[in-house]
Amino acid sequence: MENSSILKVKDLVVHYETDDGCVNAVNGLTFDVGVKKTLGLVGETGAGKTTSALSILNLIPGPAGKIKQGEILLDGHDILKMNQSELEKMRGNDVAMIFQDPMTALNPVMTVGEQIAQVFELHQKASKREAFAEAKKMLKMVGIAESRANDYPHQFSGGMRQRVVIAIALACNPKLLLADEPTTALDVTIQAQVLELMSNLIHDRSMSMILITHDLGVVAEICDDVAVMYAGRIVEIGSAGEVFNETAHPYTEGLFNSLPNLKQQGEELVPIKGMMPDPSNLPSGCAFHPRCPYATENCAKEQPGLRHVGGNHFVACDAYNDAAFTLGGGVN
Amino acid sequence: MTKTLLEVQNLTKYFSTPAGQLHAVDGVSFAIEKGKTLGIVGESGCGKSTTGRAILKLIQPTSGNIIFDGRDITDYNRNQMRPLRREMQMIFQDPFSSLDPRQSIFKLISEPLVEHKMFKTKSEVEKRTLELMETVGLAKRLVNSYPHELDGGRRQRIGVARALALNPRLIVCDEPVSALDVSIQAQILNLLKSLQKELGLTYIFITHDLSVVKYFADDIGVMYLGQMVEKASSVDIFAEPLHPYTKALLSAVPVPVVGQERRKRQLIRGEITSPVNLPDECRFCSRCDESQEAVCRAGNPPLREVKAGHFVACARLN
Amino acid sequence: MVNAKSRSMGQETFRRLLKNKGAVCGMVFLVLLVLISIAAGFVYNYDTDIIAINMSQALQPPNANHWFGTDALGRDIFARMLYGARYSLIIGVGSVAIGLVIGVTLGAIAGFYGGFVDQMIMRTVDVFYSIPNIMIAVVIVSLLGTSTMNLLIALCFTCATSFTRIARASVMTIRDQEFVEAAYEIGLPTWKIILKHILPNCLSPIIVQVTLLIGTTIIAASSLSFLGIGVPLPAPEWGAMLSEGRQHIRDAAYMCIIPGLAIMFTVLALNLLGDGLRDALDPKMKR
Repeated sequence: MENSSILKVKDLVVHYETDDGCVNAVNGLTFDVGVKKTLGLVGETGAGKTTSALSILNLIPGPAGKIKQGEILLDGHDILKMNQSELEKMRGNDVAMIFQDPMTALNPVMTVGEQIAQVFELHQKASKREAFAEAKKMLKMVGIAESRANDYPHQFSGGMRQRVVIAIALACNPKLLLADEPTTALDVTIQAQVLELMSNLIHDRSMSMILITHDLGVVAEICDDVAVMYAGRIVEIGSAGEVFNETAHPYTEGLFNSLPNLKQQGEELVPIKGMMPDPSNLPSGCAFHPRCPYATENCAKEQPGLRHVGGNHFVACDAYNDAAFTLGGGVN
Repeated sequence: MTKTLLEVQNLTKYFSTPAGQLHAVDGVSFAIEKGKTLGIVGESGCGKSTTGRAILKLIQPTSGNIIFDGRDITDYNRNQMRPLRREMQMIFQDPFSSLDPRQSIFKLISEPLVEHKMFKTKSEVEKRTLELMETVGLAKRLVNSYPHELDGGRRQRIGVARALALNPRLIVCDEPVSALDVSIQAQILNLLKSLQKELGLTYIFITHDLSVVKYFADDIGVMYLGQMVEKASSVDIFAEPLHPYTKALLSAVPVPVVGQERRKRQLIRGEITSPVNLPDECRFCSRCDESQEAVCRAGNPPLREVKAGHFVACARLN
Repeated sequence: MVNAKSRSMGQETFRRLLKNKGAVCGMVFLVLLVLISIAAGFVYNYDTDIIAINMSQALQPPNANHWFGTDALGRDIFARMLYGARYSLIIGVGSVAIGLVIGVTLGAIAGFYGGFVDQMIMRTVDVFYSIPNIMIAVVIVSLLGTSTMNLLIALCFTCATSFTRIARASVMTIRDQEFVEAAYEIGLPTWKIILKHILPNCLSPIIVQVTLLIGTTIIAASSLSFLGIGVPLPAPEWGAMLSEGRQHIRDAAYMCIIPGLAIMFTVLALNLLGDGLRDALDPKMKR
């Protein structure tokens, strides 16, 4: 199914070299994003999600950050081999990014209309007038009155600023949208509005999206596929139904068990024991083994590759070799 | 026999701003029994944090009464509050900024003990500090470490240890797990719950996260723009929310379940209005799907008991 | 007590500072300078070696007997240079120290309480800030007379105003942090909160400013001595030596160059150290 992927990431390795050692942020990341599909990239702090997203735009902050190896194919073109001008053409035009904090994502001394118009001027060589007219249309599309195009970011609330950010991102109809925790900083009711908006816009424009989040509820609401990251690698990937209902990796299972959700009340939460490993000092073999209730001796020796479990479902867990092995308890 | 540990009557806090009076908290009332947990839920700007701080007298209320263990502490000054600090404590939200970066863990946890002269000798202070660390699950070897060397989960445990140091009866938890990763959240929540059982603590749990509060609280108060719009036991609020805001809030929480019938989400339109110079009408009216102009704009509805133990501030239901 | 490998912020900062070669050079230079200025007091006798006039030896360029040569009155420049280090250091460090105590106290009060108190203090400080320190020095010296001590007093005004601003800004930032609220919450009295929690966290910009300000104060002292209203002759203060060398700049340029270089290197060392401290103290520079 080669043609149905808009993005293919293969064996991506990204390191940050610091005074205190080498931080292995991403260690062999491999995943695909289907055309018109939304992939949820789930993980906790330090899993390497933001680094992965920045790699796609080749925006890893140097000189400490280095992409050591890997391939990132956007519609067949390797991003890591692009020169500066090709990258500039690609960013904003083919791939756009929404960052986490709407408070700091906008330039405080430019009106929102100007900021959206900038994208048109840059990528579509539009004149200032045309660009501003398009900008107003984008504002309307994200649910902001056109008359507010001349307002400054500080005059908007968090939710509305995030809408402006979305407008900027979608201005040139990119093929792929990277959204890094776009609603984490927002109230839950505003989050619902913004997610609904994003979902509708993506479907209307036939875009693909990678949604980075730690919130499994958000993933369930709008993602088609899910990839779970731990210590810089994907430990489980599949369609949302497969990952949520046929959970295969112990870490994913642990995440679900830690969630107090609206379904249960008073039941003990079962947290994952221990803590996220230090990226500059990862455990040998499978990075999760010190915290894994199912770990065997072999888990400390070899790092498991992604195994096919069924359908589009892959899991990086050696214990899965054993046919009799099933995760205890299941999900929900 | 259960006793009311804390009672808050008509608490208000106004701030003067150039634009007018900011109604941060506008007439909040509730009572908590010893050993129970009250969850105060709401989004940003609803006044829940201000309420928590007012209860501890970190902010002086504009009007209303705070009655702790039968004593009216509303007008207590700092000197009068000092002995009470041993009975009411706070766990702060941000484990990164709520700890003095220049103090070691030992200093951080023992500071309340030293300040209130709880022990006579240094070694007694050390012993108690190590005990507290063990209670909250911090390895003893970390005692001379500094906050910047530890992760969020461990820092929050320091916050919990500090709060427990004086053996308080009431702990106000201001979003204690919001800044933490999911798996660490679960650890801290379990810790708080077991401490409650062990030590008979009473909690006020302030949060915006409804799923956490369902797990944790016996009773829940929902706040919007400085007022409590619904108050009931945890079971009742989730089983049968009555206020339109509560319903929308519950509906907005994304549920990590795939495959079941995608429920119809009630999206609240618009944005929260400014809490400055509010008119005398229902504050949720302009965003409410179920509002009836005539009734809802007629005045700010008070919190009324519409069912046993279930209070709602909604003009239509009164 | 259970001990574990851990570093306080101070140790961490020092470790980072040591990685900065410029800062290390600066530190070494300054330490040597301090040692020299102390040693010079023992090695040389002020009356016979430093100020004794010896016309037969006048204006000798650097040679085997006099490594830095002699000045117009036959005095050995090398000895005078080594002895003169103490004036710069005492004035530099002294002014800054006094200015620090006054400035941080005022700044902390202004920053913490805000409102009217803040306005009062800062407007007063603004008045002093707007007068160039040379002018203030002229006024003080004309009131009190020229002496090392009076020069020190004159220069500490500028230092104090500088520290007031820095302390105020830092205190205002730290004051609103949650850990300060936490300190209130356990019942600490205000003065303890300021001393124990707020001020220690304001140290970084203050420390950096100390090193940089010592540098500028030394230059100011030298300038004032150059103008004749600083340390009175015949004391071998470097700026004064520079001034004396002016008349002979054509035929005995070394009389200007040597003190000039000394001032320059001292201030350079202080600046390197100050920059290094700023980088070491800045958490974002960790990478």
